[in-house]
Amino acid sequence: MRSRFLVLSVILVLLLASSSGVANPGGKGDSNRDFTCGGSCHGDPSLSSVSSADIRIDAASTAFSGTATEISISVSGMELSENNLVGVFLLSSKNGNDDHPEDHGWQIIQDPNGGTSNYVEVISENDNSITVSWVLLAPIDEGTKQIFASIHHGSFYNHDNKAYIGETDGLLVSIEPVPENYPRLKEGWVSPDERISGDSSPIIVRTVNTDSLSVFWRLSGESQSHEASVEMIEDQEWEVSLPATLGDTRIEYQIIASKDDFNNQIPWLSMGTSDPYFDGTSLGAKLQSLSFTLIILGFMLSLQAWFSPKGVRKLADNTNEVEEMISDDNSDYWSRLIPSDENPGWLWDPIEKEWVADPNNLPGGKQ
Amino acid sequence: MYAITFHHMVVGLAAGAGTLMGICALLAWLSRYISNLESSQSTLDKASYAASILTLVAIPLAMFSGYYSVSEPAGSAILYNKFVFSGIAMGFTASYIAGRVRFGPDLWANNALGNLQMLSALFGLTAIMILGSIGSKITLGESTLDLLPFWPEFMNSIVINQWISLFLLILGVSSVIFSFRIMKSIKPISELD
Repeated sequence: MRSRFLVLSVILVLLLASSSGVANPGGKGDSNRDFTCGGSCHGDPSLSSVSSADIRIDAASTAFSGTATEISISVSGMELSENNLVGVFLLSSKNGNDDHPEDHGWQIIQDPNGGTSNYVEVISENDNSITVSWVLLAPIDEGTKQIFASIHHGSFYNHDNKAYIGETDGLLVSIEPVPENYPRLKEGWVSPDERISGDSSPIIVRTVNTDSLSVFWRLSGESQSHEASVEMIEDQEWEVSLPATLGDTRIEYQIIASKDDFNNQIPWLSMGTSDPYFDGTSLGAKLQSLSFTLIILGFMLSLQAWFSPKGVRKLADNTNEVEEMISDDNSDYWSRLIPSDENPGWLWDPIEKEWVADPNNLPGGKQ
Repeated sequence: MYAITFHHMVVGLAAGAGTLMGICALLAWLSRYISNLESSQSTLDKASYAASILTLVAIPLAMFSGYYSVSEPAGSAILYNKFVFSGIAMGFTASYIAGRVRFGPDLWANNALGNLQMLSALFGLTAIMILGSIGSKITLGESTLDLLPFWPEFMNSIVINQWISLFLLILGVSSVIFSFRIMKSIKPISELD
């Protein structure tokens, strides 16, 4: 009986637990993922459906080997859920494994959210449409490469709790040999995704075959750009001074590497602003909290002592004690007196050897 | 999991008790000036006294449960501020209780002590309101006190070096011991002529 109950309990717990693990309607954050997250969850046909979205992927049809290129993905016509969240994949295959562009020689310099992931989550601000761009270094291997885009999202009217999935056909990009002495970014250089609020320290750019470097910057959403100050600190290493940003501001910058007749204009990159580094510790917080408690208590107690009334303590009223003492003395005194028949109205005090008038029978019959 | 639930419960208790302490102390103080409240002074004083004791118990419990409710209890300025303001709230609440214990219910009859006691309760209540506002900022992203134009920015905090904090702690302990020694000679108002 007990074992049956145990088994039933375990089954019930497992059934209840499954409901909390079927989906992530709020997204799971930017990360590196294969197509439909490696075929799990949303890859299951019973849990997914085809999105009505129109997806376009754009990039230059040719790119020089190892140079920066921009790939743009535009999605429109989606029916999104309440949170307007869309997950966008940039893929180099749709096998369900090894789909990351880096598995096929690409290197992500910057994703649409400022990081270096091939999967990003974006909130559609208007018309259920989005446009996002990745900046990548083209593969070193020459030849034709394919790039795919895929999306998944929820829907407001979604009673089956399905994920809506859309994908594109492969976009062919021809990787051509880089011209001799072509100025470009050094392989492995990645754009910083953010700076600390108020930090104006320069960013370091590493290049190849570059004689001069110019950088333009603008704040996100602005169209007018400004030229940044650039200083060469070592061979093919440049220090670029961009103004400090505050709050949620994103700054965008475009690098133009030049050598002789070549001008390599790298797509716009962006950099966010993060909160200042906080150096508080748990122990410090506890100590500071307790010290504040004690200092305030000590200060307030001192004030209470300062303001306390300076009157004297009420004088002791010992009337009762005195009366009791007198009463006790009197009873001792009167009890030792001896009445005398010979001298009515008088009592004999054997200690003092004297006659005392009896208050209850005064001499001469007086009361 | 249970820490979060417990934290929500204890925070409610601390906020409720702190509000009761502050409001009753304010009314007890006002009863010196408003004749309609005069007859309720004793009740208000007792209510405020009891609420202050509950507040002093609830705040450390709220700190303790809050500590285990987040992954990095002092990882950001806003969480650090919760510790700091909890300490301030405890300091003023403890001062209120100490004053009430030392001088008794007749302290409201004394001008200076009544004012001091009312200020202790009000500062304690203000610190608790700030704590509530910070909690609301963390969980909801906004608080009712955002309406005030001069409300301080909780995203920043004054972090004192640990050694200076330790020094302040020693200073605090010394000042409390010293103050209690001074107060030994002070008698309740009811025992004074």
